[in-house]
Parts: sequence; C-alpha cells; structure tokens
Amino acid sequence: MASAVYFCDHNGKPLLSRRYRDDIPLSAIDKFPILLSDLEEQSNLIPPCLNHNGLEYLFIQHNDLYVVAIVTSLSANAAAIFTFLHKLVEVLSDYLKTVEEESIRDNFVIIYELLDEVMDYGIPQITETKMLKQYITQKSFKLVKSAKKKRNATRPPVALTNSVSWRPEGITHKKNEAFLDIVESINMLMTQKGQVLRSEIIGDVKVNSKLSGMPDLKLGINDKGIFSKYLDDDTNIPSASATTSDNNTETDKKPSITSSSATNKKKVNIELEDLKFHQCVRLSKFENEKIITFIPPDGKFDLMNYRLSTTIKPLIWCDVNVQVHSNSRIEIHCKAKAQIKRKSTATNVEILIPVPDDADTPTFKYSHGSLKYVPEKSAILWKIRSFPGGKEYSMSAELGLPSISNNEDGNRTMPKSNAEILKGPVQIKFQIPYFTTSGIQVRYLKINEPKLQYKSYPWVRYITQSGDDYTIRLT
Amino acid sequence: MPPLDKRIKKFLKDSIRIAPKISGKGELSELRTGLVSQYPQTRKDAIKKTIQQMTLGKDVSSLFPDVLKNIATIDVEQKKLVYLYVMNYAETHPELCILAVNTFITDAQDPNPLIRCMAIRTMSMIRVDKILEYIETPLRRTLHDDNAYVRKTAVICVAKLFQLNKDLCVELGVVEDLVNALDDSNPLVIANATAALIEIHNMDMDAVDLSSLIQSHVSQFLLALNECTEWARIIILGTLSEYSAKDSLEAQDIIDRVTAHLQHVNPAVVLATIKVIVRNLPQIEYSSNSLIMKRLSSAFVSLMSTPPEMQYVALKNIRIILEKYPELLTKELRIFYVKFNDPLYVKLEKIDILVRLVDPSNLKQCTLLLTELKEYAMEYEPEFVSRAIQALSQLGIKYAQESFVSKVLDILLELLERQDTIKDDCCISLCDLLRHCPGNDKMAKQVCAVFNTWSNPEVLLQSDIAKCNYVWLLGQHPNNFSDLESKINIFIENFVQEEALTQMSLLMTIVRLHATLTGSMLQSVLELATQQTHELDVRDMAMMYWRCLSMPNNESLVNDLCQNKLPMISNTLEKFSPEVLEKLLMELGTISSIYFKPDSNRRKGKKYVQNIVKGKHIEELESMAKNEISSKANDDVLLDFDERDDVTNTNAGMLNTLTTLGDLDDLFDFGPSEDATQINTNDTKAVQGLKELKLGGDSNGISSGGKNNPDVSGGNIVSQDLLDLF
Repeated sequence: MASAVYFCDHNGKPLLSRRYRDDIPLSAIDKFPILLSDLEEQSNLIPPCLNHNGLEYLFIQHNDLYVVAIVTSLSANAAAIFTFLHKLVEVLSDYLKTVEEESIRDNFVIIYELLDEVMDYGIPQITETKMLKQYITQKSFKLVKSAKKKRNATRPPVALTNSVSWRPEGITHKKNEAFLDIVESINMLMTQKGQVLRSEIIGDVKVNSKLSGMPDLKLGINDKGIFSKYLDDDTNIPSASATTSDNNTETDKKPSITSSSATNKKKVNIELEDLKFHQCVRLSKFENEKIITFIPPDGKFDLMNYRLSTTIKPLIWCDVNVQVHSNSRIEIHCKAKAQIKRKSTATNVEILIPVPDDADTPTFKYSHGSLKYVPEKSAILWKIRSFPGGKEYSMSAELGLPSISNNEDGNRTMPKSNAEILKGPVQIKFQIPYFTTSGIQVRYLKINEPKLQYKSYPWVRYITQSGDDYTIRLT
Repeated sequence: MPPLDKRIKKFLKDSIRIAPKISGKGELSELRTGLVSQYPQTRKDAIKKTIQQMTLGKDVSSLFPDVLKNIATIDVEQKKLVYLYVMNYAETHPELCILAVNTFITDAQDPNPLIRCMAIRTMSMIRVDKILEYIETPLRRTLHDDNAYVRKTAVICVAKLFQLNKDLCVELGVVEDLVNALDDSNPLVIANATAALIEIHNMDMDAVDLSSLIQSHVSQFLLALNECTEWARIIILGTLSEYSAKDSLEAQDIIDRVTAHLQHVNPAVVLATIKVIVRNLPQIEYSSNSLIMKRLSSAFVSLMSTPPEMQYVALKNIRIILEKYPELLTKELRIFYVKFNDPLYVKLEKIDILVRLVDPSNLKQCTLLLTELKEYAMEYEPEFVSRAIQALSQLGIKYAQESFVSKVLDILLELLERQDTIKDDCCISLCDLLRHCPGNDKMAKQVCAVFNTWSNPEVLLQSDIAKCNYVWLLGQHPNNFSDLESKINIFIENFVQEEALTQMSLLMTIVRLHATLTGSMLQSVLELATQQTHELDVRDMAMMYWRCLSMPNNESLVNDLCQNKLPMISNTLEKFSPEVLEKLLMELGTISSIYFKPDSNRRKGKKYVQNIVKGKHIEELESMAKNEISSKANDDVLLDFDERDDVTNTNAGMLNTLTTLGDLDDLFDFGPSEDATQINTNDTKAVQGLKELKLGGDSNGISSGGKNNPDVSGGNIVSQDLLDLF
C-alpha cells in the first residue's frame, strides 16, 4: 500500500520519515514542497492527493504538520491510506499529547518505535493505542544481567493478535464502573427568514470503561430496530437528573439518580440511521439479532455513533438584521432565542456575526452576556454563558466603515448588498446538558464478567451541543 | 514519596554520575567515542544521538561498526534503535549489513517474540543476496512460530523477500508456506498472508494463482472478517471484491455476510464493504426499493461525516456508482449541501454530486437545488463560484422544462449584473442554456440585451471559451445586437492575439453572416485565418470555407453552411464510457477512483527497484564494507582540518536515485467541462459543414481551387472571384 510515511513541516519539508519499501527514490519527498508551493500559487484548490512522476502523494494536515504517504500504484486503497494517516496522528496524540513540529523533533525515538508497529511493508498493522502502550513505553528497561530477569523484558501482549485485539487481560479496578455519555451534535443550515434548509443530529455514545477482567456488555436503547425485541424488559438504568447544574461534561462526577417512574413515561421508540460501531461491537450479532454486545477496551472510547436527518426546529435561533447607512456605518441588530423547554438551559452560547473586513469603531448595546469585536475573524462575538429555555435576548452593534466619496459625475455609489459586505454566515455554538434532541434513551446496560462476578455500576449522561456547521445565512 | 534515605541516595547518585554525556552537536568523532564507551548509559546516549543525526539527514554510515557492537543488548529500546539504524542503511549501504548477519540469526531465536520479529523483519529488507541466503532457516521457523504476532510478521517478510529475490523465494518454497498461512487459526495472520499474496501476485502474476486461492478460501475469509482488526478487515474485504461469485446464491450469501460491516466506524472498512456489495449486485435480484439499496445509501451518507480527505474519496466514488445505480441516494440531496467550513476540494465535488443526484422529475427538489446553487454563486471563492454558475446551467438543462430554464436564465442574468468577476462563467452558462432551447427567441433577446450593453466585450471577457461563446451568440442572433459590425470588427482586429476557440468561432460567425456584412470583413478574416494564425485547425477550417465560397454553383452549399439549425443540447454532464465505468467499479476506493482513470498498469511490475548486490562472496563483501568504512573515516579526519561545507560525501546508493524533474504542466489536468462541451459543439458544426460539402469529381471545382492560391501574382484573380459572389 504505502511505500513511505513522512512528517513534514508547514512548508512540506520532511522532519522524520519511515520507508517501508524501497520502490521509490529517496528524493521523492523533496518534490512535495515544490508541488505544494506551485499549487498554492495557482489557486486555493489543493486536493489531498497529488501526482508527480508516477508517484502519488496522499496527505493530511494536522496543526503545523503535513503527514504524507507516498504510493506507487493507482490501485492502492486511498480510503485506507487517508484513514490510516488520521489514525496515526491519533496514536501519536495519545503518546505525545500535542502533535506538532516541535514534539515530532523531540520524540523521535518513540515515534520510530511506533512507526515500526503500526505499519509493515506499507500494510497497516496495529493502531490500538491501548495495546501499543502495553509494550511500547516511554521508559527504558534497565540493563539486567541475570537470566531470570530477562524474562521480564518488554514483549508483545498475547491479546495483541487475539480476536479481542483491543483489550489486554488482567485488568483490575477497585471499583467497577462504566460511564456512558450520549452527546448529540446538531448541524443546521438556516436562512435569515427562519427556513431550515438542512438539519441533522449526529450522536456519539462515549464510554469510559473502568471494569476488571474481560467483561461482556449488552446495551439496550429505545431504537425501533432494536428495542422491539425487548418490549417486556423493564430493567431501567439510572440516568442524570435534569435538576443537576453540573456544566462540566468532562467530569467523572456521578449525577443523581432519576426516578424509575419518570423514565417509564418516556418509552418512545425512535429510528436511528447510520449506526456505526467501534470494532469491539459484534457486528454480525447486531446484524442478525439487533443486539449490541461488546467487550469494551479499557478507558475511554467511542462505542457507537448514529445520525438522524429529520427536520427539527432550531434550538438556538438568531434573528439578525443588518443595515448599511450611506456606506459610512453598519448597524447589526440580533435577537437570540432559546427555543427549548423552560426546564432546560443552553450553556456556553457563542454567536459569531460577520462584519466587513475594514470595519472599525465598534459600539455595542446588549441585555445579556458579553460582546466583543474580533477583527482577525472579521466578526463580532456574543457570548452568553447561561441561556434558559424560552428566553429571548437581544443586542445591537454599530461599526464605522471607511467613507466612499461621490465620484466626479456626482452619482452616489449604490449601497452593496449584504452578501458583498459580510463574508460568511452567522455561526452559533451552544451546549444543552441533560437533553437529547432525538429522544434517545438508554434502557439498560448489562455487565457480565464470567470469572470475577463483581458488582458493577453503570452511569448515563446526556448532552446536546452544536455541531461544526450550525449556521444562519445572511443574504 | 519515597523515604528520605532513598531520596538522598538517588540525589547523591545523580550528582556524581560517572558516565559522561554526549553533547548535542552531533560530531562524528564524539559519537564514535560514545559508542564504544565503557559506560552502558553513555553508549545508549550515543546511539540516540546518532539516530537523531540520521533523522536530520546527516550521513552517519561511517559509524556502522561501532553502532553494530551495541546490537547485542538486552535493552529492548536500544536494540530497536540499532535495528532502525541497520534498516536505514540497508538500502544505501547494503554491503555493511553483512557484519550483522550473526546477530540477526541469533535474535531470530530469541525467547522474546518482539526480538524475533525485529530480526526477521530486518533480514528481509537487506538487498544482498548472500545475506538473503541466510534467511531461510529463520524465516521458515518464524512462519511456523507458536506466537501469532511473530507469524503475522513472517508472512509479510515473504513478500519482501519475493521483491528482492524472486528466484530465492521459489527455491525455498516459502510461497507455499504463505498459501498454507491462509488456513492459520489467527485472523490477523490470515489477513497479512492475504496481503502478502496479493503483493506477490502484483509483482508476478504467474507466481500465485490468486483467483483460485480466493475461491477456495472464501469461507475462511468470511469467518475471519468478524474477528480481525479494522485494517485486516479492509484487506479481506478488498480480496473478496476481486472474487466473482459462481452463482446468485453465493453472491447473495456474500452480500448477507458482509453487510454488517457497513456499520463499522472506520470509513475505509465501510467503503471496502460497499465495494464487495457493488461487485455482487449484478448477480442477485434486487429492486431500487430493496433493503440493500437503502443500506448502501445510508452507508454513503455516513461517509459525509468523516474527515475531509475521506469525504473527498467518498464523493469521487459516489460519482462513479451513481452512474451505474442512479436510483441510489435520490432522497439524500441535502446531505451534499456545502458546509461553510468544507475545504474547497470537497465543495467542488459536492456540487458535482448535487447536480447529478437531483431528480429531474421532481420539481420541488430541483427548485430547492436552484435556490441553493444561487447561494453558492454569491460566495467568495472564485473556483467555487465558477463551479456553481456552471452547475446552474447544468441543472436547467437537466430539468428541461422551458419555464424552469427561463428561471435559471433570470438568475444568471441577475448574477451577471452584480459582479464583474463572473462574466466569463455567466456567458458560458447562458449560451449553454440557449443551445438547450434553440427556438426560444424570448430568452435569446433577454441574453443579448445584456450583452449588448457591454462596450468592450473583448476585454471584459478573459477566457478563450467565454469569448468563443460570445462570438457564437453574435452569429446566432445577429438581429438582437446593435452595432453588430463594429463588435465583430474589434475581434477581427485582435484575431491573431486570440486563442484557437475564439478564432474558430469568429470564422464561423463571419461566414454565417457574410451575406449581410461588409464585404471586406469576410476577406479580412479568411486572409488572417489562412496566413496569420499558428493554429493548424483554424487554417484548415478557413481554407475549407474559402473553397466552399469560391465554388461555382454553390448557392445550396452556402445556404446550408449559413442557415443550418443546431441540434438541442440535452445534457452537459460528463459521463464515463461503459468500458471505463465497469473498470472504475472494480477499483472503488483506490487512487484510480480519485482520478477517474482506470489503472492501466495494473498488475505490472514496479518501475523503480534498486538492484541487489549479487555475485559477491562473503569475504569480498566484508572487504568492501571495511574499505567503505575506512574511506568514511578518512572523510571524518578531513573534517577536522578543512571547511565542513567543502566536504561532500557521495553515497554510492544515491547514484541510482532519480533526479529528473517532470513537466509540472501535466500534473494538474483538471479538464474543465466547458472546453469539452464547446469542442463537441464545434465538432458538430465542422462535421455538418463537411457533410454538406459537395466535393465530387468536378474538374471545374478543382480548377477553381487552384486559382485561389494566396500568392501575389494571383491577387487580382482572388479579388475578382470574391467579387463575383455578390
């Protein structure tokens, strides 16, 4: 597949590399910065797959780095290469915390070790960080002379090539717990008039597994395709209460338990699309029996994600009005409304409204939150830390524009339309804890460890947030 | 916190460390001293610094024997570094590696599977045939190792060995061992063995009968699929997609067994699964509403939530599959709406999919897309705006109702009024729409009214294709333009500076209108086209026109040339030929699918392979190695006395490196579809003209042609003949 993998700086110059085959010249990577600069001169269109002299350069960008794979054959699997490069960055992030030019230079020993294990002869091999950490460590094993201690030297774990290649044996936790965070990201494209052009919910079920031994888990959710088989199963799982005011989704704090009766009232089945599972889930079993069963890797991982593309009402809506006065100043009026239930609260709301590149002298009026002009983004940023459901907040801003004098004929220059003045849409970010737009509910999470037979505690939390494309067009 | 006494001990130990440290300067002499130091810690430091210098591109091959002395260590990390050093110089200095053979053989039997893997992996990458001969025993032993981790490495070594020395592989019979590995109990070994066999098959199609191997192991592959890693799944799915099921029952069974993996979180696994299903679809009974089509649609939609590079691959592959299965994704138009933060290369591909995907019988869907494309055309990225404007006309032509086309036309004219940078694109798109509705005079009047207001079209329009369309419009609708002759005259004045398409269009227009234009215009353009231009096609066309117009009894011919009606354009979306489409469907997910170019070199050998050092005895190799080390040592000594920059080390291995810079112009052939469309239009005209040409055995015609030779002595005759036309 790949003949070599390179880490290059922001100009495309190689920092560190690993060649897996000798079917490309050593100087092949020297063409990469030339190709990049030539392309950048011509246009903004730089595809992630470049061709030069019979070689294919496939690359991704991460921080100030290019991660490049050079391939000799058009029949190579491009999807696998791009996915592998992203996975490689993920593995390095786990080891180095931050993957950038400086950390690449400073950690070449560990990177070389990893490059040996993740790929062999250009064929991806082992990219499970939790397994790699079993035998590729930051520490050096000290020299020992006795034959007895030699057996303690680093060796690959047996589980590495087992069918459970993501979980080593012998894991122990004092307290056996499993945390489920269901995070739904809302992507939405709206017009200024309030029309929803596109909306989708992308859900992630994130698991933090602190379970000993080799547990086998079974997850039940209220999906039409899954739940119908367990209609009579009344096992309820404790879930976070809406009354909890905990805003930190990263905390391991245990939320309080809601009542069973409240949960029973919400037995509504939903239909999830595009379920995607971590490789620990038994896909064939799910395909045939619609049961989600898995042996989890230890620690945090994404168990599954799903998508819904039903049309939904905007959760945070902004009515934005832009007026240009005689090409000398611009007025922006914005009303923000939280169109969610009153008992829910949106947090960390950020509304980014574009303004002209050459705007100056900002003045603001607003009822809640904080407002500031962000010239590097040609926008003003309105932050509202806590936005209760049903509330409506407003703001207005006025910015100066360089004046445009009349031309010699005495004709006044026509005012430009908003699209020519404002680059890009309004972008909104928010979080709404203890709330799922789709209505997904976890019915149960059964944890079974056949040997250890310990008592375990599952916890579930829900949150809705904006996705990477929650925007209102201004035209 | 450890007890106080232990902390004191540690402090004292660190403060009086005896082992000297290596500085960061990277001087060879210092590194060499460190490599042979009596202190293990210093030696390890020196090895790390050596690797660091190697990473920075410095040639540290002269340190080879000193580095090698450190290979026999029980420190796994240190051993890894030494192996890395050896592997790095295995390519450029293969002779030096002969010194490490004994260590490799010993390590290949180490109790630690990690060490065994390193040894076998390194041995299989050294291009010295005498060293390769030592590999037989370790390789065969590791192929049957009791540790699966070692076995999965050994099977890949067979492919490496095959690349280096095919005859040795055949002689050792390790390819048979590789085939037997397909029945291994471990799925990762099965996957790696499969990958190795595919590599060998690609190098030599006769070495491995891949299709029969796949056929006899389909059930093993399907079983292993559920238990192996994500990367192994990709290999196995890729292998299954090469297999032709023997009947519809088997095809259905394969589809049923792999469909579950459409829900894997790795997008490359999803795409590989799609490929297997698409491969087997023709053999089973299915309808456009069947479950399998819904599952495929869902899978493609999910690929739009992946990183942009993966989206790019997916969009290219959707484009291929849509042409074969247009019923896919028909309800998923909105998934492909452009996101504000998409990279440009994703935005352009999404527009392409949107226009192809939209259902021309669904007015609501077409109207929604029309509004969306209008929004895109008002964005800021020039390439994106250009593509959106093109898509507007493509959508209008696809939908085909004249009222809808008229709406598209209105949007384009509106866009034309507001921006100066999009005149070229709007001109091209508007003319495409007019060619789609050739009888609609109302639309033509609308377009010409706007173009009529341009005072300097030859300057306002930038591209050849845009000017070509503008001139075409002058010729098709002359009555809608005021000052027609002055507009044409401006182009005639700049004829030589214009590009080929504009010249051709101008020629056609003037010939078409010659009866109503000033007489000298026709003569001017024909003279320019036959004498001044460098474009051979333009010369040939002009010569043909000249002869047609000069023939006696040419009334009907001239009438056909000037009055013919063009056929209606029904589609401006590019399509693959059936042969190309079938090939691309076999290569989904590959780099071929990104370029839409089937891999014609498929299964051919590698183009660039360095030669193995052959025919040398061990003693000769050792002698070569020692001489090379000595020469490097001399260089190092010289460094102490001379300017460093003046010393250039020449690596023998580098002499084979390709240094030729290719022609960059051929790299980025984005092939705008407008050119293809317009060229097709021109070809249509040319073909029609040729069909109407009555070049019989008329001796008078030939004789008249002779009289038209453009030379000074014949000037009067030429003028006389031209005057007779009127």
